[in-house]
Amino acid sequence: MSSPVLETENLVKVYGRGPARFDALKGLTFEIHQGESVAIVGKSGSGKSTLMHLLALLDAPSSGVVALEGRPVTALKPKEVSRLRNETFGFVFQQFFLNPNQTVLENVTLPLKIAGVSKSERNQRGMDALEQLEMADKATNKATDLSGGQKQRVCIARALINNPSVLFADEPTGNLDSATSETVEEILFGLHRERGITLVVVTHDDDLAAKCQRRLIMQDGMIVAEETGAAPASAAAPQVPTAAPQPRRRGLLPFGRRKGGRA
Amino acid sequence: MNVVDLTLTAFANTLRSKLRTALTVLAIVIGAFTLALTTGLGAGINQYVDDMVAGFGEEDQIYVMPGGDMEAGQAATSGPQEYDPDAGGSSEQMWGQQMLSEEDIETIESIDGITNVDPIVFVTADYLETPDGDQYALNELGLPADAGAMELAAGERPDRDAMEITVPETWLAAFDDSTEAYEDVDPNSVLGETVEIGISNMLGEQSTLEAEIVGVSEQAISGIGGAPMPSQALNQELYDIQTSGLEVEQEEAYIQAVADVENLAENEAEIKAALQEEGLAGMTLEDLLGVIQGIIDTVTWVLSGFALIALLAASFGIVNTLLMSVQERTREIGLMKALGMSSGKVFGLFSMEAVVIGVMGSIIGAGAGVIVGLVGNAWLTGGPLSNVAGLVLYAVDPLGLLGICALIIVIAFLAGTLPASRAAKKDPIEALRYE
Ligand SMILES: Nc1ncnc2c1ncn2[C@@H]1O[C@H](COP(=O)(O)OP(=O)(O)OP(=O)(O)O)[C@@H](O)[C@H]1O
Ligand SMILES: [Mg+2]
Repeated sequence: MSSPVLETENLVKVYGRGPARFDALKGLTFEIHQGESVAIVGKSGSGKSTLMHLLALLDAPSSGVVALEGRPVTALKPKEVSRLRNETFGFVFQQFFLNPNQTVLENVTLPLKIAGVSKSERNQRGMDALEQLEMADKATNKATDLSGGQKQRVCIARALINNPSVLFADEPTGNLDSATSETVEEILFGLHRERGITLVVVTHDDDLAAKCQRRLIMQDGMIVAEETGAAPASAAAPQVPTAAPQPRRRGLLPFGRRKGGRA
Repeated sequence: MNVVDLTLTAFANTLRSKLRTALTVLAIVIGAFTLALTTGLGAGINQYVDDMVAGFGEEDQIYVMPGGDMEAGQAATSGPQEYDPDAGGSSEQMWGQQMLSEEDIETIESIDGITNVDPIVFVTADYLETPDGDQYALNELGLPADAGAMELAAGERPDRDAMEITVPETWLAAFDDSTEAYEDVDPNSVLGETVEIGISNMLGEQSTLEAEIVGVSEQAISGIGGAPMPSQALNQELYDIQTSGLEVEQEEAYIQAVADVENLAENEAEIKAALQEEGLAGMTLEDLLGVIQGIIDTVTWVLSGFALIALLAASFGIVNTLLMSVQERTREIGLMKALGMSSGKVFGLFSMEAVVIGVMGSIIGAGAGVIVGLVGNAWLTGGPLSNVAGLVLYAVDPLGLLGICALIIVIAFLAGTLPASRAAKKDPIEALRYE
């Protein structure tokens, strides 16, 4: 396996102070390698989302180091951090965060707009991405007019639109029925396999966790266990591909990536 | 985000809460409207004054008044001045005002470059008699020195040395029995007619002088051309009659004199310096009109000052609107930053919204100001003020309008910087958590 794309050292996150002080992360040290798929699992409130935000440079740790390709991110300029968020990372938020007043297509193409890509190319790539998630017919709907599962797929399309090299997904299948979950998993792991995208997934879904190469098990702000390879519980099942998602693999090519200007 | 997207997004954002934007824009519109109107008014009247200057720019004349420095007279208010028998040279005093004496006139005449000097004298004649024998009261006579500034409907200005006169066009009906309305009379029909002017001397003895009508004048905003204007020679003779009759010879005293100058453009500075040396002040017509324009400019600036205060108030409206907008859109800002928008671009987006508001307000306001100014100008100069020849009350000043728009946009941008920097400082995760 290649060099670590992300490493952390003694990562601590403290919320509040005084009597309201809460230690959400209590000194985490681990590595995530290029092209790896990692699941972060644990009970609600164990600090999974907090950890993801720190890894995706959306938040700063109270102490400790996050390093990207060997460089501590505190050494990066704000502009570089913005560029990393836009071009290198894709993020699927647990709470969606779609702009309610914009259409589905506008929401999906927002990262491209920020990057300075022209409108026609934005729309082209946005439609391609929505098609893969079977959301093309909703492209002109307002984001508020969607069901929970549909919103989740829009979020995934948005996270993938700029062809990130690391994809963070916080409960990407949390709101989906099993069939749609299957589709989403197919897309995520398809990208992982075919384009070597690094996947970091927070999930309660054992099935999804089992498909990851590594699982970090969290409890009360600490990593209490680490599993590698296929999970014991579902080791037999996932290797047999189901009939339905199989042909869709062909659609998992890059979304017509052309290099645009940047924000 | 590229500039086009930034601008379009900012524009779309301002349209999101239309009423709020409309009210903010309205405040700016009021300021822009007032500014466009006041500066246009200043430009219009100044243009009118300029036109008047251009109308007799060839007249090489300089107005001479006593007192090289005008401040000397005004210093009296700060306390009593010591009496100096030599002060003011040979100038006379009349009603507390310094006057020019006959000696002064000779001094002026002797200055190099001055070809001729005419003291300005005020003549009060009794009546003007038309060829038909009708007599009309002559409350006032025009000053021959103003002849250059007179607008003519027909004929020409009175010749200096001939016994000639012009009449205002409003007097035309007096020469034509067939009509009451002067508009119906052809101004050319009175040219060449001879009138008699009656005037009393110091003892009240009346005598008459004959003069030929050579021109018909239009009244200008300055009042010039509103009364019959005698030639210099006629005026002087009338003055001589007016001041005659007493046994004792009076010392002549004049408020002002008009000096004809050879090549004014070249000799102006020299002659003014020479006059100053003699304790006299010289002013060209342009100087005099410059004083008027200075007053107009001052009024314009005062009015514009009020408009600027309105704009200042409006700029707080922008701050307020955008602060609300930033607050409402905390999540959206957080999302944009999480998706890689730099703080600089977030700042740019919100200041662009302020600029969009400024652009809308200034274009609507300045546009409305121009329309109201032009329509008002057309209405006033075509209606109530139509008898003032060549009057311009409002002129479109493209550079001025551009300046107003630029000023408003700068003010809007400055007003936007506070909300925009608030937005730019938002922490993405903090903002996304905002419910
Ligand atoms: N802004 C905050 N201020 C104070 N405490 C916080 C804040 N954000 C998170 N926490 C606390 O930190 C802990 C970890 O939160 P986090 O969102 O990382 O949990 P999680 O593992 O993602 O849970 P879930 O599976 O429910 O999403 C929780 O106990 C939460 O109450
Ligand atoms: Mg969470």
